[in-house]
Amino acid sequence: AVSKVYARSVYDSRGNPTVEVELTTEKGVFRSIVPSGASTGVHEALEMRDEDKSKWMGKGVMNAVNNVNNVIAAAFVKANLDVKDQKAVDDFLLSLDGTANKSKLGANAILGVSMAAARAAAAEKNVPLYQHLADLSKSKTSPYVLPVPFLNVLNGGSHAGGALALQEFMIAPTGAKTFAEAMRIGSEVYHNLKSLTKKRYGASAGNVGDEGGVAPNIQTAEEALDLIVDAIKAAGHDGKVKIGLDCASSEFFKDGKYDLDFKNPESDKSKWLTGVELADMYHSLMKRYPIVSIEDPFAEDDWEAWSHFFKTAGIQIVADDLTVTNPARIATAIEKKAADALLLKVNQIGTLSESIKAAQDSFAANWGVMVSHRSGETEDTFIADLVVGLRTGQIKTGAPARSERLAKLNQLLRIEEELGDKAVYAGENFHHGDKL
Amino acid sequence: AVSKVYARSVYDSRGNPTVEVELTTEKGVFRSIVPSGASTGVHEALEMRDGDKSKWMGKGVLHAVKNVNDVIAPAFVKANIDVKDQKAVDDFLISLDGTANKSKLGANAILGVSLAASRAAAAEKNVPLYKHLADLSKSKTSPYVLPVPFLNVLNGGSHAGGALALQEFMIAPTGAKTFAEALRIGSEVYHNLKSLTKKRYGASAGNVGDEGGVAPNIQTAEEALDLIVDAIKAAGHDGKIKIGLDCASSEFFKDGKYDLDFKNPNSDKSKWLTGPQLADLYHSLMKRYPIVSIEDPFAEDDWEAWSHFFKTAGIQIVADDLTVTNPKRIATAIEKKAADALLLKVNQIGTLSESIKAAQDSFAAGWGVMVSHRSGETEDTFIADLVVGLRTGQIKTGAPARSERLAKLNQLLRIEEELGDNAVFAGENFHHGDKL
Repeated sequence: AVSKVYARSVYDSRGNPTVEVELTTEKGVFRSIVPSGASTGVHEALEMRDEDKSKWMGKGVMNAVNNVNNVIAAAFVKANLDVKDQKAVDDFLLSLDGTANKSKLGANAILGVSMAAARAAAAEKNVPLYQHLADLSKSKTSPYVLPVPFLNVLNGGSHAGGALALQEFMIAPTGAKTFAEAMRIGSEVYHNLKSLTKKRYGASAGNVGDEGGVAPNIQTAEEALDLIVDAIKAAGHDGKVKIGLDCASSEFFKDGKYDLDFKNPESDKSKWLTGVELADMYHSLMKRYPIVSIEDPFAEDDWEAWSHFFKTAGIQIVADDLTVTNPARIATAIEKKAADALLLKVNQIGTLSESIKAAQDSFAANWGVMVSHRSGETEDTFIADLVVGLRTGQIKTGAPARSERLAKLNQLLRIEEELGDKAVYAGENFHHGDKL
Repeated sequence: AVSKVYARSVYDSRGNPTVEVELTTEKGVFRSIVPSGASTGVHEALEMRDGDKSKWMGKGVLHAVKNVNDVIAPAFVKANIDVKDQKAVDDFLISLDGTANKSKLGANAILGVSLAASRAAAAEKNVPLYKHLADLSKSKTSPYVLPVPFLNVLNGGSHAGGALALQEFMIAPTGAKTFAEALRIGSEVYHNLKSLTKKRYGASAGNVGDEGGVAPNIQTAEEALDLIVDAIKAAGHDGKIKIGLDCASSEFFKDGKYDLDFKNPNSDKSKWLTGPQLADLYHSLMKRYPIVSIEDPFAEDDWEAWSHFFKTAGIQIVADDLTVTNPKRIATAIEKKAADALLLKVNQIGTLSESIKAAQDSFAAGWGVMVSHRSGETEDTFIADLVVGLRTGQIKTGAPARSERLAKLNQLLRIEEELGDNAVFAGENFHHGDKL
């Protein structure tokens, strides 16, 4: 039984406060730290921030922490829930909150307790966390599937200096035999990319963004992709490494068109692209480069452009800003044939049970699921166990740099090692890990 | 008793391989991950790298891992050593290696086992790690001392784009009442610094270096210090924050002089500074800015310049490249009155017992001790417990960004919370935490 639930404020990888929860049972103290995205939308569960500008630039989480310690803790202990019954745990938290978007207690308060409970349950069952999560998800476990890491190695968009509009360029070592080999290949390409970037764009271009990627002064997607392809070749891994894009195109959607020069206040309006024209551009990139996955190719409400492109895409199309891990939005995207993969962010929905349900709904519609970190991450490695438990075959958790990213990748190395023969690496089948 | 010792290769915060060790006792499995510096010198314990250029750019640690699994593990289990006796553990490892610089087994193999053993010992004693480390160090524990974090928020030197020669600019929230307040103040200044940097130097100047600091195109130390002072003021923390420098001056020591324009291949030789001239420059900076600590003001073998400056410095002078946590170099530095504080890096010496001894020797000479991370860090938080156990009063573990840095700072938040009334924050007395 749970004897104590306790929260404190700690710091995420950007130096912003976040909620850490400790749940105490006979088996020990189980800790979980909540991640945080750069932006949060109206369709997402509410991340509660204090908004007291005199402290932490308004980003304090003392109210969320107090909600755990003063509201959730006592009720949770009194309710005497079985932590092994995650559905009961999460239903209890949802009803204690009582709002549609978890705005009374805060999704950051609720998620911290939800994840810590899963850790406590795994310990109670004396099994690794990924196995408990596989049980909860009713996933096949023979064999387990280790995911392809989509490593975000180069950044454009609003955080980079150059004109490059697309936000994330990821390398995916699909040609590896094991997750460990994928990481070796990925890290070798990353180091080559860093060296090439410094050579071409100067020493300070070796500095990294929030997710560990470089962000040199690059103007076009071709320039970025050429740099990555050169790094893959320099590392000697031609053919083994594919490329994924996260366009985050809502960022440059203006007046119904896409402005690839959006960081220029004087951008030439006559060059802005329609959805159809942007789709053509993606097709031309796909012809020239080994792209296997595109996330958010169009703006979050430009459903028509999504459905148009998806018909002919022929590769994995991932919905993130489009669906924000929201069941209603996921259902619409499935119905409109807008994409064929879900980007799963547990803190967008706010409990583990709902996250599992979102993955199951997606699988049922024949979608793939890419488990995702957030830009504000922590040393917590929960999503590493989650991606194995859900058996999705793909994870996006940054570059092989910065330990909030590596901590997850390191945990996946441990899981693969522990499973030995009982695991396969998803490799080229990353889109349908669930069917392996 | 120890039933198993096991190592694997995982990744550090730069995406390079490093050694992780797990030590199993009746109490559980105790893990430790070894950090790695950017460069390693002849006076340091040897970090064993495979040197096989076809894998991990030559930086693999499979030999060190194998040394743990094939050599240390069977011998360690057989020797039936009491992990609570750290001296016995480390003496055993040192004699198994048999070399002066741990080059047979690798300091990374040895340190991993040494640190994991202390975690196992703390569990056996049923005490927090910091308490066990305080026992081993014979430190006073009433009260414990929480360290001032020296947060490396701005970088020059070889990794930055501009001409700025000095390597690290740190903020030290000495005016806080608690460690938690120090970290809040530090993070607020850091966020203000990031905003100001982007405003003055462009969006890509918000990207960060290996330790989380920004590295804009800055030309002089004054320009860097003005930016930091402006950020402190913008955050509203004027007076509560002091500044520390790590000059890493061996990097720009050429032909017996100091070249502050060393990144310019055509630098004007007539402007290179002698040791006394560089000392004058430090004095003029100290007059204008609230500098309380300078690390490596002179090159590692320019003893005369060190001793000359120390006579009149009046602030803490920290020896890092000068002493490299090597007992003989520390003894010489003490004798020559070159500095009055040691930068303690456990992986430079290679065992916990020797690290404790280095701190004790320094305290005995009236020196301070700053516990330090490495540029290649991990999610391991050992040094957070170590700085409390040693009671030094100061730690250097990067900016409040990147979770390999925050993981240590978060652990210090937990320790302070757990200790409550039985801890004081070193504050302005950081130089002599041991005497509080």
